[in-house]
Amino acid sequence: MSKSVIQMEVNGRSVSLEVEPDEMLVDVLRERMGLTGTKVGCREGECGVCSVILNGKLVPSCLIPAMKADGGKILTVEGLEKDGELHPLQKEFLNKAAIQCGFCTPGMLLSAKALLDENPEPTLNEIKIGISGVLCRCTGYRKIIQAIESAAKSVRS
Amino acid sequence: MKGEKRKVILKEKKVEIPLAKEELEVVGKQVIRKDGYEKVTGRLKFGADFDKAGFLHGKVLRSPHAHALIKKVDVEKAKALPGVVAILTAEDVPGRNGFGAIIPDQPVICGEKVRFIGDGVALVAAESEEAAIEALKLIDVEYEPLSAVFSPVEAMKPGAPKVHENGNLLTTVRIRKGDTEKGFQEAEVIVEQTYSLPFVEHAYMEPDVAMAIPHEDGTITVKGPMQAPFTVRRNIAPVLHIPISKVQCVQTHLGGGFGGKEDSSIDIGVRAALLAWKTKRPVRMEYEREEVTLSTAKRHPMIIQCKVGAKRDGTLTALEGTIYNEQGAYASLGPIIPPAGGTHAHAVIMLPGPYVIPHVKVDGYLVYTNHPYGGAMRGFGAPQVNFVHESIIDELAEALQMNPYDLRMKNCFELGSVTATGQVLDQSIALKETMRSAADQFEWFKRWRPPPSKEEVEKVEKRRGVGMAIGWYRTSIGTFSDGCGANVYVHEDGSVILHTGITEMGQGSHTVLAQIAAEELGVRIEDVRIVVPDTDIVPEAGPTVGSRSTTLMGNAIIMASQAVKASILEAASEILGVPAERLVARNRLIFDRDDQTRGVEFKEAARRALATGKRMMGQGWWAPPRPSFDVETGQGYPYFVYTYNTQMAEVEVDTKTGHVEVIKVVACFDIGRAINPILVEGQIEGGIMMGLGYAMMEEVLLKEGKVQNLNFQDYMIPTAMDAPEIVPMILEDPNRYGPFGAKGIGEMPNIPTAPAIINAVANAVGVRIRDLPAHSEKVFHAMRGRRG
Repeated sequence: MSKSVIQMEVNGRSVSLEVEPDEMLVDVLRERMGLTGTKVGCREGECGVCSVILNGKLVPSCLIPAMKADGGKILTVEGLEKDGELHPLQKEFLNKAAIQCGFCTPGMLLSAKALLDENPEPTLNEIKIGISGVLCRCTGYRKIIQAIESAAKSVRS
Repeated sequence: MKGEKRKVILKEKKVEIPLAKEELEVVGKQVIRKDGYEKVTGRLKFGADFDKAGFLHGKVLRSPHAHALIKKVDVEKAKALPGVVAILTAEDVPGRNGFGAIIPDQPVICGEKVRFIGDGVALVAAESEEAAIEALKLIDVEYEPLSAVFSPVEAMKPGAPKVHENGNLLTTVRIRKGDTEKGFQEAEVIVEQTYSLPFVEHAYMEPDVAMAIPHEDGTITVKGPMQAPFTVRRNIAPVLHIPISKVQCVQTHLGGGFGGKEDSSIDIGVRAALLAWKTKRPVRMEYEREEVTLSTAKRHPMIIQCKVGAKRDGTLTALEGTIYNEQGAYASLGPIIPPAGGTHAHAVIMLPGPYVIPHVKVDGYLVYTNHPYGGAMRGFGAPQVNFVHESIIDELAEALQMNPYDLRMKNCFELGSVTATGQVLDQSIALKETMRSAADQFEWFKRWRPPPSKEEVEKVEKRRGVGMAIGWYRTSIGTFSDGCGANVYVHEDGSVILHTGITEMGQGSHTVLAQIAAEELGVRIEDVRIVVPDTDIVPEAGPTVGSRSTTLMGNAIIMASQAVKASILEAASEILGVPAERLVARNRLIFDRDDQTRGVEFKEAARRALATGKRMMGQGWWAPPRPSFDVETGQGYPYFVYTYNTQMAEVEVDTKTGHVEVIKVVACFDIGRAINPILVEGQIEGGIMMGLGYAMMEEVLLKEGKVQNLNFQDYMIPTAMDAPEIVPMILEDPNRYGPFGAKGIGEMPNIPTAPAIINAVANAVGVRIRDLPAHSEKVFHAMRGRRG
């Protein structure tokens, strides 16, 4: 296989890029587009810190060949803030101290966003399931769960 | 306590600190963390996020042998590969070919032999990562394998393969207090058991990275996620054979550290620096997850024999313990830093637990093997020995048919107690209060029942049980070199810059330290900016370890703040015509405490201070009271203050599968003073979760010296699905030596969780797991063994 040109909409902006067949979405975002908010932790799809939303679904961007994202709509952490206004999830992560080192935070925010988009009133267990694909070694998850609970309320109201 | 002040002696200076919370503006408040906005927006740059343009890519060729002589390293083919700029072997190291946090016994590049699978035998720098990876494959190394040793007990036997020339026994530390023979004669019940703890991985989410940039003036800059930039600098200089003053280490925000990046940042930093030095070009190195797990430090595994005796009424009479502490291939943070620094001494000191025991004898052996090495990991030797004393106290309670709470309450430390090292605990000790508060919250006396019989267990599919554990943990590192400095600069607009070498790794140190500066100066938290720790700029701070940052650096910051505040108050005094002694600075205002209508803005006073030539900077340096410890007798005052903690856990065990679910953990801490309560809670919850992983699932599996579970597919850490309900509780018994009364919190929460859970499992199904982790299969077999 050879290089090919792909079209994507990333955080509302359309881009066209020539990519290698073995180039992963995470590397295109980080290295080619400078969107370093998306992190790399394991390159195995196990830690979830590279999670982004592709066509409405949460995906580990380290396992998605960039070519597969052709024609896709992507949301990364950089796209959560709108017109200088933080997303309710971002606000609640701050208020509830759901951030420590911050390395999983982008993946965690996007997994929470994907969850709330699909299920605006998740139960505690649904929140746990929703974010279970992203590992956090710092927080013990409790404050992250609380932040998502409060953000869900503010999104609904 | 409202309005009460107490004099505190901070080195030579006397400082007045308000004890009443009501008087504080910034300290004790749930301030939003200073780096929060950058972190939720993805703007904060971690080490791997910096532009790679212009950097060569560095890689390490790693040994596939656990123990082997290096006969020949042929680099010719690799050198010829297009894009390869340098291949370095041992003879290319210009200075000392060794690094290490305490003893430089780990070769930067192995020359004569390799001592574990993952040891570095050559370094590569290439124009592209692909070329660097390809070059690794073309380096031809001829090894002569040697017999290897993989257990500390085996390694201590005569004739065992020698990992290092001077033999495998690295350090012995003992405690001798009273006469244990007599103590066991006085005992009416004796319990003796052996426990074992595995290697576990820090599993910080951010893999290691380093960027080294050589400069034309003969200096070099190294950037990366360093937990202890000064330790990295101290190692780079002798390897390059240049003075420390020519090495600049700049910290990037850590994506988690937990002790691991104290070691790993030396490893990767020294190697990147060497490649940059030799190629005269910027070099970037990044360890992949597998490489991090394979080659960097882990929590020390230990095998511990313990024997404890008590009177019928539960009064402890004696404790004996032998610790076989596996160091692995290199010394890392294992050995002694005089008098009581290093993981091993700390483990020995902590083994008798927070109990008054008249007769104590502990022998601790720290032993090299051909495994990866043990280093610092949250708790620094304490999680291992806490598991032992808290397990055996429960086993003793069972033998005495006592409630384990009562047995602990009867024997644990209180004000005036004397430890096994002979230290009198004369202040800030609310251990018993943490037990009482946790028990009330948890409803311990309502929920605790004696362990069930076999028949009772078999009757139901799921059984719940409760367990508890208590613990203590030092603030400070027990070395003579535990000092730290801070500089505070006030500007003419009232804004402040704080120079501190304490690193931010997620724990929130830069928020807490800014709160301390703001409180002391009388400005707002947003007025204080902390610069990135850069060894060219900030004063020596020692490492960000030992739960020392808030307390030790906090004191240095108070001293620095007071020094510069004197100028500002002097200027305010000139403006207001009020003596400086009567002035109080609070929330950007300076006013006369006798007539609060007379005041001036902080920034106005600052402007005048500069305009009239007053000193606009303050420096502070603080070291704890001098520690003492004798490694032969274990007597002394190794650490100046301790944090205390009680944890209570409820579990549900599936009697058919052995699966354990942790339902709830209540954890109460005496931390002196919470500078930022919500960040303290974060430390508590995260530490407990890490302790839950230690109890239930985490273990670096080794087979003939090779790590079997290199990535998160096989190395399990807790996910949100494992998260129990956690109730964090904070008690404040002020520390005489702490800023606003604070003591450390970073490590304590990680310590008693595992034994609390394991005691709850024993309480639920009547089987006791003495070797962690207690995964389902192990619990299942233990229950089956009991049945059969």
